[in-house]
Amino acid sequence: MPGKQRILRLLARGQGYVEIGEMLGMPPGRAYLVATGVPADGGDTVTREQRERPGMLPSRSQRLVNPREVNPSARGNVHQWMRRRAWSDPQMRADAGQAR
Amino acid sequence: MSRRVPFRPWPVLRQLTGPDRLGRGAAVKSRRSEETTARTASADRVVKSVCPYCAVGCAQNVYVRGEKVVQIEGDPDSPVSRGRLCPKGAASLQLTTGPGRHHRVLYRPPYGRDWQEIGLDEAMEMVADRIIATRRATWEWERDGRRTARTMGIAALGGATLDNEENYLIKKLLTALGVVQIENQARVCHSSTVVGLGSSFGRGGATTFMQDLQHSDCIVIEGSNFAEAHPVGFQWVMEAKARGAVVIHVDPRYTRTSALADLHVPIRVGTDVAFLGGIIHHVLENELYFREYVLNYTNAATLITEEYRDTEDLDGLFSGFNADTRHYDFETWQYQGMRVVAAAGDRDEDYERHGEGRRSIRAAGRGETHGSGGAALEGTPHSDPTLRDPHCVLQILKRHYARYTPEMVERVCGVPPELFAQVCRHLTENSGPERTAAFAYAVGWTQHTDGSQFVRAASILQLLLGNIGRPGGGIQALRGHASIQGSSDIPTLFNLLPGYIPMPHAHEHERLDDFVRADAPGKGYWAGMRAYTVSLLKAWWGRAATPGNDFCFGHLPRLTGSHSTYDTVMAQLDGTCKGYLLFGENPAVGSANARMQRLAMANLDWLVVRDFTLIESATWWKDGPEIETGELATQAIGTEVFFFPAAAHTEKSGSFTNTNRMLQWHHQAVEPSGDARSDLWFMYHLGRIIRRRLAGSTDPMDAPILDLTWDYPTEGRVAEPVAEAVLAEINGWDAEGRPLSAYTALKDDGSTVCGCWIYCGVYADGVNQAARRKPVEEQDWIAAEWAWAWPANRRVLYNRASADPEGRPWSERKRLVWWDRATGRWTGHDVPDFDAAKEPGYRPPPDATGVDALSGIDPFIMQSDGKGWLFAPAGVVDGPLPTHFEPQDSPVPNPLYRHQRNPARMIYPHEHNRYHPTAGEPGAAIFPYCVTTYRLTEHFTAGGMSRGIPYLTELQPELFCEVSPELAAERGLEHGGWATIVTARNAIEARVLVTERMTPLRLDGRVVHQIGLPFHWGSNGLSRGDAANELSSISLDPNSHIQEVKALSADIRPGRRPRGPALTEFVRDYRLRAGITGSTGTEV
Repeated sequence: MPGKQRILRLLARGQGYVEIGEMLGMPPGRAYLVATGVPADGGDTVTREQRERPGMLPSRSQRLVNPREVNPSARGNVHQWMRRRAWSDPQMRADAGQAR
Repeated sequence: MSRRVPFRPWPVLRQLTGPDRLGRGAAVKSRRSEETTARTASADRVVKSVCPYCAVGCAQNVYVRGEKVVQIEGDPDSPVSRGRLCPKGAASLQLTTGPGRHHRVLYRPPYGRDWQEIGLDEAMEMVADRIIATRRATWEWERDGRRTARTMGIAALGGATLDNEENYLIKKLLTALGVVQIENQARVCHSSTVVGLGSSFGRGGATTFMQDLQHSDCIVIEGSNFAEAHPVGFQWVMEAKARGAVVIHVDPRYTRTSALADLHVPIRVGTDVAFLGGIIHHVLENELYFREYVLNYTNAATLITEEYRDTEDLDGLFSGFNADTRHYDFETWQYQGMRVVAAAGDRDEDYERHGEGRRSIRAAGRGETHGSGGAALEGTPHSDPTLRDPHCVLQILKRHYARYTPEMVERVCGVPPELFAQVCRHLTENSGPERTAAFAYAVGWTQHTDGSQFVRAASILQLLLGNIGRPGGGIQALRGHASIQGSSDIPTLFNLLPGYIPMPHAHEHERLDDFVRADAPGKGYWAGMRAYTVSLLKAWWGRAATPGNDFCFGHLPRLTGSHSTYDTVMAQLDGTCKGYLLFGENPAVGSANARMQRLAMANLDWLVVRDFTLIESATWWKDGPEIETGELATQAIGTEVFFFPAAAHTEKSGSFTNTNRMLQWHHQAVEPSGDARSDLWFMYHLGRIIRRRLAGSTDPMDAPILDLTWDYPTEGRVAEPVAEAVLAEINGWDAEGRPLSAYTALKDDGSTVCGCWIYCGVYADGVNQAARRKPVEEQDWIAAEWAWAWPANRRVLYNRASADPEGRPWSERKRLVWWDRATGRWTGHDVPDFDAAKEPGYRPPPDATGVDALSGIDPFIMQSDGKGWLFAPAGVVDGPLPTHFEPQDSPVPNPLYRHQRNPARMIYPHEHNRYHPTAGEPGAAIFPYCVTTYRLTEHFTAGGMSRGIPYLTELQPELFCEVSPELAAERGLEHGGWATIVTARNAIEARVLVTERMTPLRLDGRVVHQIGLPFHWGSNGLSRGDAANELSSISLDPNSHIQEVKALSADIRPGRRPRGPALTEFVRDYRLRAGITGSTGTEV
């Protein structure tokens, strides 16, 4: 099992947890846990002091263990549907035209 | 194949022989552990979601593998929950994937003895048939000569775990069908909040947000068991405490909230107005109010008419009371120089002459229209900046609360003066320019016959102390359901259209312009009501809505009084209401007088129940309590019952609006299996079928349904409507189909579409703003890029008040929003809740209208006068100032006034709904104890989402009642044994929990005992028990029509309740002994 210091040294060389995980044959989230003592998935409370530990990511550490995140926030077909609804309403367009 | 090594599994051997000599990890891991993979690690995807239980709105990660949900955990990115989930949230994997869910449609024919399985398509056609037929048979074009264009034969009641998009389609379709009896859990839960906060500040939502509690210097939790009912949100109270805040818990019971507070104040149930009134008295008497704030930002200086008479003058009545109709005329409560436009004057008089006579429209839920916009006023109020005029609000307030002394607080509430003094000291010492205090409450305040006034009392106090609109201040309304705020905003409520636009009444609003003129003030943002209404009508009726036909305003059915869920029960009993749709709601357990709810359903022609499991509201005809007592017989019940399995939150997309007005999107993780479908699916396809059936009809009653815009795109195996398209319609678009970014862009000429004006902006730039999830660590505490809050993504409402009249922060420590002279704009941490370019020194010209009529020192921009209302000249139908009245059923006389109970309360005398005698009168002593009902951490409301979940039922397996050792001794109750609790309505049994957490209160020379009862149980599920609501009566707050279930009187005795017909005899005997008749407890 690779130790904390080894992972911190690799981090200091500019490598990320994903690369380190691949290099050491371990999941990146586990590399984060070994390096910081804090689970990457946010499954524990992190104190202010812990935030200062070497190797801590300021945010989004859960991406190391939850890489396949699904959170779409826009859909083209809805945009098209809105336009279709607006364009099929002659009164709406006529009054908008008058206002212009 | 590897060779078997006999001793290899020994950890010590692995440690000594392998590379991990120090035994730090690999060596001590067993083969089984090594071969096990975490469900989270092997998931195909992690779908972002939101917990469907309470309204804290904890973010969830839903792990999916092989198109199955395999795990649900808290999302650590959330600024609200920071990755935490409570026991219910943590059990939501079982909620969504557990074996308790039903996945097939069931049908019970009239007089049938059991369920039959039928196909989903067939069931949908049958329900469409029933709706069309009932609608035709009960259609009413007019009543008393006024157009109503509606059916009173159909009603709906929804739960508050419905998505906003689902509520939107329910309201849209049913309204187009002419149904007016559309109600929601929001009625029975927090409708008093909408009235109380809305009339005081201009909006009916919590004034602050969960995370801002950390900045409080003092938090008073009253009417709430915050730590147990909203556990994850409570972390912010603990953050405040860690920073030095004083936490006070005022509650009849000592709970985990009390244990974590600095001070617990036991109080008699239902007496909070006296308690808060006592603090108001203390603040005024000792001049501890924040004078500059009060003078500039509240109506303290405003003069009230000389004709106004207070409860101090009329022994518990305000001027204008009509004892025959039990309602007030507001005429004498008016500002000098300004008059109320809405719900007042000639229109009401007209209604009294033409309406049903029993109750005016003032009582018909009008106060809730202030959910976003205070009462409409016209003119310019007269004021006295010296605050000395006897007619100014501050002086009236002083006189009104003059007798609410510490001694009176003790007599009414049972709170000793020294303990009360501590509360006053903490609260006042932690309020002012440098410090702020917050109040947090829940249904312990709202569910009373004067619940709106409980909320009003806290609002007055927070205004006096200068705590509204400021960091660490405010009033936190702790709503209990994932989208109960949303269910008010996009209301499935009889009296509202989306965005708190009032439903039109039959007697008054003939044309759109009359309707707008009657309700819209000339001043403030609500002056844009015509644009909001026209845009809504365009959203619903699209190209059919034109200026020539008043934008289809005539398609809206009309109200003729109260059509709340409790009025619906009465209509079911009298046979008027014949069809009922339940969307995730269980009134057979969760509504007041549960027995009456079931008896009413037994009188229906048809009933549709949509839920996860066979809840009590679906099965009462087969195994309900009245079958056992013999009051009902299965084979004699003609009600046709349809059960449709519902989709879980992981099986559909949509938005919940949490308790702080924040819309958060949850994505569909997997498709629902079997016949389970979302309510969005149900409503969309029901509407599609009905429209197909009615296609080509020339009957004018069908025009609203045929003209409806009902073309939502669908997707997936089950043709699920695209929820984001519904959200886009709610947000609105312009004539080019471009999404609108703010409600200020709405037009009244029909050139904009917007389904709910207060949500305009949630789809700005064509982006689902509710789905934004920028992690907490990357933002300040406001977290403006996490989801989206109405209005305009503001998190602290009325935040102009965080700066002094010149626009400077009251103190550096409490900076939030301020005037930047250099840029000539308001700026700060939050989105300013103010016209960003309006300088503090701006004073409107006399003829100004709309937003321009508000000055630079008017932080309450939804109020016509821009001020926080200490005194409510309108909007609260039972009085301009909160006044202590006893609950409908109380064992204690009211020492303050001749009137024992709220004179304007709504009561429903009926053979199944008898009330207790007035305290001190013969028979009252039969019910000598106070009862309060409450929620447990491990269960959820009427149990439909918790009593079938093994994790949760194991944690809380059985109904119990909490009693003090003194009460146990007095009545011979044994810890762990059984007790029977009785009222005039029914009797229940519960296990006895004898605990010192229940404190006997000493007041007015007597000892008052209180009984605590969780209300989650019913006869179905893994954990079964009697429902606490068997005991409660239907007696309502006249503003909000909410039921009183947080305070009632009862008797308790050892042992189990009688079974079968003996139970009804047992309760009848109690009524006889108490001398109860139809008029008992109905006195004004």
